Order: sequence, then structure tokens, then C-alpha cells
Amino acid sequence: MAVWGERLAGVRGVLLDISGVLFDSCEGGGVPIPGSVEAVARLKQSQLKVRFCTNESQKSRGKLVGLLQRLGFDISEGEVTSPAPAACQILKERGLRPHLLVHDDILSEFDKIDTSNPNCVLIADAGDAFSYKNMNKAFQVLMELENPVLISLGKGRYYKETLGLMLDVGAYMKALEYACGVEAEVVGKPSPEFFKNALQVLGVEAHQAIMIGDDIVGDVGGAQRCGMRALQVRTGKFRPSDEHHPEVKADGYVDNLAEAVDLLLQQVDK
Amino acid sequence: MAARRALKAVLVDLNGTLHIEDAAVPGAQEALKRLRGSSVIVRFVTNTTKESKQDLLERLKKLEFDISEDEIFTSLTAARSLVEQKQVRPMLLVDDRALPDFKGIQTNDPNAVVIGLAPEHFHYQILNQAFRLLLDGAPLIAIHKARYYKRKDGLALGPGPFVTALEYATDTKAIVVGKPEKTFFLEALRGTGCEPEEAVMIGDDCRDDVGGAQNAGMLGVLVKTGKYRAADEEKINPPPYLTCESFPHAVDHILQHLL
Repeated sequence: MAVWGERLAGVRGVLLDISGVLFDSCEGGGVPIPGSVEAVARLKQSQLKVRFCTNESQKSRGKLVGLLQRLGFDISEGEVTSPAPAACQILKERGLRPHLLVHDDILSEFDKIDTSNPNCVLIADAGDAFSYKNMNKAFQVLMELENPVLISLGKGRYYKETLGLMLDVGAYMKALEYACGVEAEVVGKPSPEFFKNALQVLGVEAHQAIMIGDDIVGDVGGAQRCGMRALQVRTGKFRPSDEHHPEVKADGYVDNLAEAVDLLLQQVDK
Repeated sequence: MAARRALKAVLVDLNGTLHIEDAAVPGAQEALKRLRGSSVIVRFVTNTTKESKQDLLERLKKLEFDISEDEIFTSLTAARSLVEQKQVRPMLLVDDRALPDFKGIQTNDPNAVVIGLAPEHFHYQILNQAFRLLLDGAPLIAIHKARYYKRKDGLALGPGPFVTALEYATDTKAIVVGKPEKTFFLEALRGTGCEPEEAVMIGDDCRDDVGGAQNAGMLGVLVKTGKYRAADEEKINPPPYLTCESFPHAVDHILQHLL
């Protein structure tokens, strides 16, 4: 067992990233990461509180949970914190009518949002919908606004699909920021509000919680800045250079979620 | 700043300086002849991401300018020469019309990315391919980083936003090869045997032409044609060496004061 395992003492709640930790997505579905289905089950049987905290913005929460259940995971919609519902709340509070640059699979999350005569742009992981034409349309909407507002569901650089690494919404967010001279408002990890909201629902304090993710900046760095501990798994988008990241150092690096859960449960049993 | 020496080379911008779209600046052909009558070397330098040298040359010939292909140095030329120097095989995200300027360059099994203005290539799958090459350590060479440009149907995204997207995703910086980069001006002088202190640049873009050239050690002359707008000369510090009405006036100044 890793020496740093002692740093897990006092953990009462666990936030789990989904993509790259539970499964790797691919065209039309996904593949569970070996050991992760059982690891989630063991975690939920323990006395630790568990919540899923994802930046998934290509599919609705319902579609994501449905897929995970088909892959064998014990998970329900109410256990997932994801950026689209959080964004909808912000849109309503501020009277914002978004032009949506998003994937068709997440449109249902915005069913109750007025999108006529847009006064902001909302960008999510649109996948193939990130065409020049669609990017240009979002750009033109922003350029015509007196006070351009750009809302981005997460700002990840890339994520892993079975075919390889794919550009994430952050890259396209940066493109629009650069083109229009604006700064996006990020809803999702690593924004502190997003983590705090997940902790609140979980009912634990930041210092009692640990985040497990495959993104050294978005998951690990973001959680640590909120006062949580964080582990990086060597699955999903993990790259060996992450362990020597110039700014972020995880509280521990584990081969996969199964190893993380082993270590956590050993601490709990002490 | 190094001591100024006798003038040996004149760099001239094309669109906005010698001609505006398909019309020559009045008196420009004749002024170019007078300049050539002196002993200076003349080079034509331009930021283009879609017009090959051949396209540029045809337009200039139509406007009756006496210019040969080897006198033209463009941002595409600069990208090509960087590709050659680095001995890399680029994935070319450039407009099809620019491809002739990369003739003979190996592009199979790419280990570099060259990016210009290429809306037809700026979509998810192609950008993912470029992104994966960059993560594997391929250099990113940008023709320029313009934010947007004007089309008949309104503003449209330039290459800059897509370069920025790739830079962010891979935590790297692109090598930008066009004006106003210092290396662009130095490369344009290569083969002339001249030092920057022996050269002057004439152009209508205060930042990219004049500011860029002056940063490289040349004199910069701003002409009030093309994209020039009132008070542009106040945009850079130090200010342009000279601001004058048009290319023929710039030539007169050079012939009278700099030779």
C-alpha cells in the first residue's frame, strides 16, 4: 500500500468523476473501465457517502445514467451533479436566453429554457456539431451583443474515447473567447460553486471529502482549491506527464478506481 | 538600436499599398519603375493564407506591375521555409488554393501541423487529428492569428481562434510565421545579403507592416491607402519613421533622402 494512504484518514464523502473513471465513452455507447462496476458497488455498501460529479455535457443526465446502468453501474439520476441543470438555473435567474452550441443529446435539458432572440451563447461539448458554420454562428451572435455573455459547461481540454483523445469544450470556448475578446463563465468543474453544490447535497464538509478523477487540472486541482483532497486515476485521459504537472499535485495517484476504493475502505476500516 | 547604414533593400506590402483589390494605387507602377532604377533590392511581402504566389503574380501582372515570382515573400513562403528548416512532414490545414506553395513538401505520416485560414478543414474530426499530432510533440505552425475577417455575409472566424483552441488543448504555443513577426521580416531579407538596418518597409498596416518591420530593425513607412484609418500612426511606439500619402510618395522620399 502506498505510504500516502494515511492521507485518506477522516474521509467521509467521495465525489466520483464519471468519464475516464467509471467508463470510456465511444461512438454510440461506452466500455466500463475494468473493476469500476464492482468498485462503485463496494463504495456504496460502505459507510462513505458517494456522489457523482461530472462535466459531461454531450448527453443529458438521463441518457448518461441510462448508459451507465446498462453497463452495470449502480447509479441513479439523483446522485449525479452535472453542469446543464446548474446552467439552467443561472439562465433563469439572470433572464438569459441562450443561443445553444450543444450536442442534440443534451437539448432535452434545455426544454424549459427560452431560446428566442438570444442574449447570450451557451457552449457545451458539441462533438461533431463543432463545425465551422456552427462556431461562426455562435461568434456572430456574441459580436452582435452589446454585453456579450459566453457560458461554457466545463472548460476541459480533452477527454478520452476508445478511438483516442478528443478535443473538449474548453478548446472551443477558448476559440470564442479569443475571437470576441470575452471571458467565458464556466459552469462545472473546476468552478468552486460547482464542487460546493455537490458537497452540500452530499452533506459533508470539504475537508472530509475526496474527489477521484482522471483530469489533473479540472478534477484534482479544482477539488483541492475547494479544500478537498483528490486522487488521480491512471485511466481515461491520464497521461504519465500528469504526475509531474507544474502546478497541480494530487494527494495520490492510483492505477484505477478499484485501487482507490481499496485504499479508501482500508482507512475506513481502521 | 544599431546605427543606420546606407539603404540597400526596400520591402513593399501588396494589397492596400501597391494595389487595392483589383485596382492599382494611382502612379504605383511608375513609382516602382523609378525605385528599380536605383540600386536597391526590392521584395514584396504579404500576409496571405489562401493566395499562392502564382495567384498574386497573375493579379500583379494584370495590373501591369513589373514583378517576378522570386521577389515575392508571403506568410505561406515563410511557413514553407520553416517546414523545410525543421525537416517535418506537415498536416496542411490551409485553403486548397494555397497548396501550390507547398508543392514537393512531404505530407504523408505527418509530424507537424500548418494552419491557415481553412474553414473547410475547421471541423471536429480534422481538428481532433491535428490535436493528437500536437500532443505527440508535433510543432504547430500558424500562418497568422487573425481573430476574424469580413466576408460578404458578415464577420467570419479567422484562423486565430482555432490556433488558440489547439494551443489551449495541448498547452503549447504556435509558431506564428506571418507579419508582424520579426522572423518574417528577417526571412524576407534572406538571400538579399542585407541587414535589417539597411532596409525599409512600406505598408498600409501600422502594426503588422510598420511596427513589425521596425521591431526587426528596419525603417517603417506607413502609407495612407488601403486599410489606413486616421490616426493609425499613433498606434505604435516608436511611431513610424515616416507617414505619407501613398506608395509613390514613399518612393520619392526614399530616392531623395535615403540613398
